[in-house]
Amino acid sequence: MRLPKSWLQDYVDFNVTDEEFIERMMWRGFELEGVEKELKDVSGVITGKILSMEKHPNADKLTVCQVDLGDKRAQILTNAKNVFVGAIVPVAYAGARIGNHDFTVASIRGVESQGMFCSGQEFNLSDVEYPGAEVDGILILRENTPLGIPIEKAIDRDDVIFDFSVLPNRPDCNSVIGLVREAAAALGQKMKTPIIPHIEGEGDVNDLVKVTVENGDLCPRYTGRAATDLKIGPSPAWMQRRLKEMGMRPISNIVDITNYVLVEYGHPTHAFDLACIRDGHIIVRNAEEGEKVVTLDKKERVMDKDMLLISDPQGGVGVAGVMGGLNSEITENTKAVFFESAAFKASNIRHTARKLKHMTDAAARFIKGVEPVNAQLALERCIELVSELHAGKIVGGTVDVCAADLKDREIDVDVSHVNRILNTNLSGERMAELLATIEVPAKASGNDLHVIVPHFRTDIESGIEADADIAEEVGRIYGFDNIPAVLMNGDTFQGSLAREFQAEDKVKDVLVACGCLEMYNYNFTGPAALKALSFAADDERNRAVKLLNPFGEDQSLMRTTLYMGMLDSAARNIRRKTGYGRFMEVGNVHFDLGGDLLPREEKRIGLVFFGEQESFYTLKGVIETVLDRFGVKGARYVKNDIACFQPGRRADVVVNGRKLGELGQVHPDVLSAWDVPGPIYMAELSFRDILDLSVDTPAFQPLPRFPVVSRDLAIVVPEDSESAHWIEIIENAPVDVIVEKGRLFDVFRGPAVGLGKKSLAITFNLRAEDHTLTDEEIKKAFETIIRVLAENGAPLRQ
Amino acid sequence: MENDLIRIREEAQKKLAAMREECDLVALQQQLFGKAGELTGILRTMGKLSKEERAQLGASVNKLKQELEAAMEERRAEFRKKAQELRFQQEALDVTEAGVSPVAMGHLHPMTKTYRTIRDALVGMGFQVFDGPEIELDDNNFTLLNLPLDHPARDMQDTFYINDKVLLRTHTSPCEIRALQTFKPPFRFLMPGRVFRVDEVDASHSPVFMQIEGFVVDRNLNLANLKGTLDAFIHAVFGENVKTRLRPSYFPFTEPSAELDMSCTICGGKGCRVCKGTGWIEILGCGMTNPHELENCGLDPKEWSAFAFGVGVDRVTSLKYGISDIRYEYENDARFLTQF
Repeated sequence: MRLPKSWLQDYVDFNVTDEEFIERMMWRGFELEGVEKELKDVSGVITGKILSMEKHPNADKLTVCQVDLGDKRAQILTNAKNVFVGAIVPVAYAGARIGNHDFTVASIRGVESQGMFCSGQEFNLSDVEYPGAEVDGILILRENTPLGIPIEKAIDRDDVIFDFSVLPNRPDCNSVIGLVREAAAALGQKMKTPIIPHIEGEGDVNDLVKVTVENGDLCPRYTGRAATDLKIGPSPAWMQRRLKEMGMRPISNIVDITNYVLVEYGHPTHAFDLACIRDGHIIVRNAEEGEKVVTLDKKERVMDKDMLLISDPQGGVGVAGVMGGLNSEITENTKAVFFESAAFKASNIRHTARKLKHMTDAAARFIKGVEPVNAQLALERCIELVSELHAGKIVGGTVDVCAADLKDREIDVDVSHVNRILNTNLSGERMAELLATIEVPAKASGNDLHVIVPHFRTDIESGIEADADIAEEVGRIYGFDNIPAVLMNGDTFQGSLAREFQAEDKVKDVLVACGCLEMYNYNFTGPAALKALSFAADDERNRAVKLLNPFGEDQSLMRTTLYMGMLDSAARNIRRKTGYGRFMEVGNVHFDLGGDLLPREEKRIGLVFFGEQESFYTLKGVIETVLDRFGVKGARYVKNDIACFQPGRRADVVVNGRKLGELGQVHPDVLSAWDVPGPIYMAELSFRDILDLSVDTPAFQPLPRFPVVSRDLAIVVPEDSESAHWIEIIENAPVDVIVEKGRLFDVFRGPAVGLGKKSLAITFNLRAEDHTLTDEEIKKAFETIIRVLAENGAPLRQ
Repeated sequence: MENDLIRIREEAQKKLAAMREECDLVALQQQLFGKAGELTGILRTMGKLSKEERAQLGASVNKLKQELEAAMEERRAEFRKKAQELRFQQEALDVTEAGVSPVAMGHLHPMTKTYRTIRDALVGMGFQVFDGPEIELDDNNFTLLNLPLDHPARDMQDTFYINDKVLLRTHTSPCEIRALQTFKPPFRFLMPGRVFRVDEVDASHSPVFMQIEGFVVDRNLNLANLKGTLDAFIHAVFGENVKTRLRPSYFPFTEPSAELDMSCTICGGKGCRVCKGTGWIEILGCGMTNPHELENCGLDPKEWSAFAFGVGVDRVTSLKYGISDIRYEYENDARFLTQF
């Protein structure tokens, strides 16, 4: 909300610096958004008197003027016709700036000009504001204007405009009056509250206009007054100036009055040309579905039955709370005006403005919340201004259709509770004093504070929130900075991290120790990305949650797997040649369960590896490390057919028959969908499953007491068989000793082994629990193992 | 004989002095004490001497032998030392060459680091971690938090909807409702997680970001406790020298409401681009929990009091590390991630 300093000064003495004022407002909850000079686009323009004028030697239309700038002289060229020797004019002397234009010394056809003269338009002045401002030529200043002073001083446009952000619970402060009320308290003064007189007028508006409100729920109050014998013309200088300071454009006296009252009292009013209200009957009703109204901006608006329409018996004359109708617009020929000042329901106006895609100043204020008492104040203020501006003849009486309760509410507040909330020790009397500074009357008696809630404080509630609401007001005025910081006391609390949060830390720490960089990807993905991963029809990852209002198709789904985001980021790193190819992410994925059910949320651990050093096995090694760190034993890697991976290079991670996750080399089709060269290796693991299987406190296993014997062998097996299969056969061979720690240490292919075959070199350990193995035992066990292998189709390599 | 000994001694000493390599000592050893060695030869001739002469000569030879052996040992030590020095010289390294790390460690995302710092500070103050779902009921995200359907403040947080009852949570505050519905007070919870708003991506906005909600319910909590808790936590994260100020604000779910500013970490409060010249940076929103919220969850607001605060982890991360553009935090560029 903008607040011109000069307007503020109508009501209070501005007795501090701007900085001090801004800080005090901040402590009351009004944060500064900006400060502007009144002539914000003008700097360095000063007044000067033309001493002499000569024709430019080489240019017919130009005149060379010698100008007295007070403390210096300047030579200025001009082509203006209205300047004369002795005229005092605004001079944009070299170094001045208007808008985006910087003035410098320039030479025109061989003659130097140290700047330019300015017109009234450059200062956004009208004739009403400064005589001659709209003339075609240079602004001729009054004869007594001092020389060399800034133009903003010379034309009295040197105001400062503060712009404060108003919190949503204080719609009353979206007005000059409301903001000044707070500013006065901040300055420690009593505001000179304006009193709006009731101007009687002649006759009775009720004889001219009849108002029927059909929907009192959407329009709790509708008031109106009228004026006749209008003299439509420009509004006076002071009003034009203030409208401009508030960022509005003066139009004509009657329209300007409604705009002025809008910013002054924060209440939207509307002026109808009374002659255009057919039958003199205003009906406030829901629109018919598809009913059309042409609004002031000449656009046809198609209404629906939830929208409130201001109509006469023949049709709409305005969209309630949003914009008036073109058919009843104030024009220069308007003879009589009907001012409407109503309270409309915020949510309904919001619906209308959104549906029509037409947000106006009026609608914005109705949406933030207006109240019915202020409606009448605004109406009376319009009438007062008509009278003050001699714009017409006031008609007596008021139309007032009111379903709202207009009485100030009274609440009783628990003084000790307020003190408990704030950790203060203020008496009820002191609280009453503090509240009085913001015009909230209160009276203390014992522990009770009886507060009369003024009509404009719609935020102060009557119910269970009352104590807190008053505590906020008292605290705000007393000063939050006067409340000391005190640590909580009372019961001792054991702070702690639940197991799952510890585990999340651990997963990340282990993966970082394995060389991974941690990614954070967005949760959004799109149907194209999901389709590119080609999950099988029954894969739950196809059941993505859909957003109703996404940014775009490609961000319309919630991820069901971390793959999309990881691939996006991997592709980005590859394109940018960052030289790093080992990443992880721990994040949530969601599965749609249908209906109104909340989706199922699961935490996943994702890995994406790429670059020369990486392979299926480096990825697998990291997964094995994670499982090892969590004490998850017995993981099997079982070939799967997940289509986003290359066949033959993809596997599920299975423990006790439960799939914990999967890994693989990204399928070339997926790579091309992401337009990125491979190979890329990816994995995704279920955080919950690892947590469930993890062993926090492993039980101690006694160390072997007798020596271990290591044996190697090389067998010839079919190319498509898996080493784990043969190691399993070795470890489960029917022998009397313990066979363990089987491990593949070499693979050989070649003519010596034969086509479609490979040779596996495997090492394993033999031992016994209770004695040192004899050579005989070792020999026997080794031979049995060789025999079992051969029986299963894996002869020793010769 | 004695003369021989003198000669042998002199010659041996001369040889020792002239010797250049350790292996020459072996030759000298042979020459003196070997089977055909000079001293061995002298000892061999002793049989011809009288008992007294034998004893005397024996003693002289032994003395000389010891002396020469000691001298040779000394020489050997010298050679070894020299040889070692030479080896050290040859083996000298360029210590400025890059080290070889056992495994190249990765890096946590800076947001994870910030989250842990904040969390650990709060856990130290008796908070427990609790979390809720990212996709929430409208009721938990708005209605029960004192934001009924037509509340104007719903517009403050533009929301992604799944349907008219389900949405992407716009803040971590719905965790407050879940905590109130799940646990008996008193309690102190910190509730981290991702939140979502319809904000187009730019240098300071992201449709996805991370918040930490602090929520304490107890008897007799007050604004001073909120201030004390926030001060302690801000100091833990940003250091003791940071100043804070609590100024009035508005949130539907707190009353009184406030925002916490801290002195700008970039300029130290003098005023700069980051703090827009004010010397202060807005760091979090907070307040005493609105009685309606407590009542909505079955607590008597006359008996129970509560306060809450919500801090943006992305924002704190940006401030703490001086990251100028929030987009870096979701691009996952290795050159960014390896800096933290």
